[in-house]
Amino acid sequence: MAMAQDSKLKRAAHWADVRGRGLGMWAYVLNRVTGIGLVVYLYIHLVVLSMLTGGPAAWDPFIKVVRSPLFLGLDVVLISGWLIHGLNGLRVTLTGVGLGVRAQKAMFVGFMALAAIGIVAMALLVFRS
Amino acid sequence: MSRDVPVKMFRFKPGDAAPRYQTYRVTVPDAANVIDVIEAVWRQDASLTFRHACHHASCGTCAVRLNGYERLPCIYSVAEALQGRDEMLIEPLRHFPLVSDLVVDVAGFFQKQEAAGLVITRTAETSLDGRRYSPSELFDQAGKLTDRPYNRFENCVECGICISACPTMAATDKFFGPAGLAAINRARQQTDDPQRKSLLLALADGEQGVWRCHSAFECTHACPQDVDPAGAIMSLRHDLAAQKIKRLFGGQG
Repeated sequence: MAMAQDSKLKRAAHWADVRGRGLGMWAYVLNRVTGIGLVVYLYIHLVVLSMLTGGPAAWDPFIKVVRSPLFLGLDVVLISGWLIHGLNGLRVTLTGVGLGVRAQKAMFVGFMALAAIGIVAMALLVFRS
Repeated sequence: MSRDVPVKMFRFKPGDAAPRYQTYRVTVPDAANVIDVIEAVWRQDASLTFRHACHHASCGTCAVRLNGYERLPCIYSVAEALQGRDEMLIEPLRHFPLVSDLVVDVAGFFQKQEAAGLVITRTAETSLDGRRYSPSELFDQAGKLTDRPYNRFENCVECGICISACPTMAATDKFFGPAGLAAINRARQQTDDPQRKSLLLALADGEQGVWRCHSAFECTHACPQDVDPAGAIMSLRHDLAAQKIKRLFGGQG
């Protein structure tokens, strides 16, 4: 019998489809988005560090640029990614070994509240420094 | 009293280049469920294919996606389905090969269920003699039903809704899936035979077993019968993790 399958791309789109879904699905999507963001950042970071090989002439002008408000804002985005991914990852680890499974939604809300407090605190530190 | 229901129906026949959506307008009683709407559409257009049997949520055959979310249309009311909407959208389950219109191929799903050795049953059964028996009292060590006078109710109706809701199933068909892993966990609880327990745990281990799950908990959220497959997966993970840690330190896991 001839049968149809969704394309891989269409199926992959289901990873981000949160319509009508539960809180766990939002946590799943947040972890993917922040995870991909952190991997991209890691590569950018390595490329940027390679500028050190050019000596002060290459590095000092770059440092001036990253002290601009735009880059400081990007720092806050990066810290947000760390906090959300790390704390959500802790929830996944705990439930993954059978701890707090029934409280996973409350755990997600609690950890994200912690992340929000951390983001605000870090944003204040970044922009005041 | 009756109501007019506009329906946007997913249509696909073998040989079609791509699926399409067809709009119908049917009249059903006010108290109708969504399965009544599907049947009313079929009376207008007999080329529509869909699966149904019991009409009361015990067979799981009619599962579809209603307005983008997995439902059993036999127990889901039209009033609820149209809340805040002008039109009802009906599509087949995701993550299954599509056969025709709302019909998907569930063969792979049942093969995974069978691998566990049994389907999922309630944790306690009320028997005809008024006692409550634990599953281990109702089944012998070979997994066969004993002759106790029981009423056997299954939580899992094998509707496939958890497979459609699970985002990990979007990545691979090889993943054992929520229902299959829940069945393994249930089979494990039902036997006192250490060797069988160990075999079942090994079945749940591995790349396509419990470790493939990404903890979205959508299976539990979508399940119309409160099977809690995610809880079963986490329970298996807990025991597998404990076993691996014990073995790491030279113990017998």
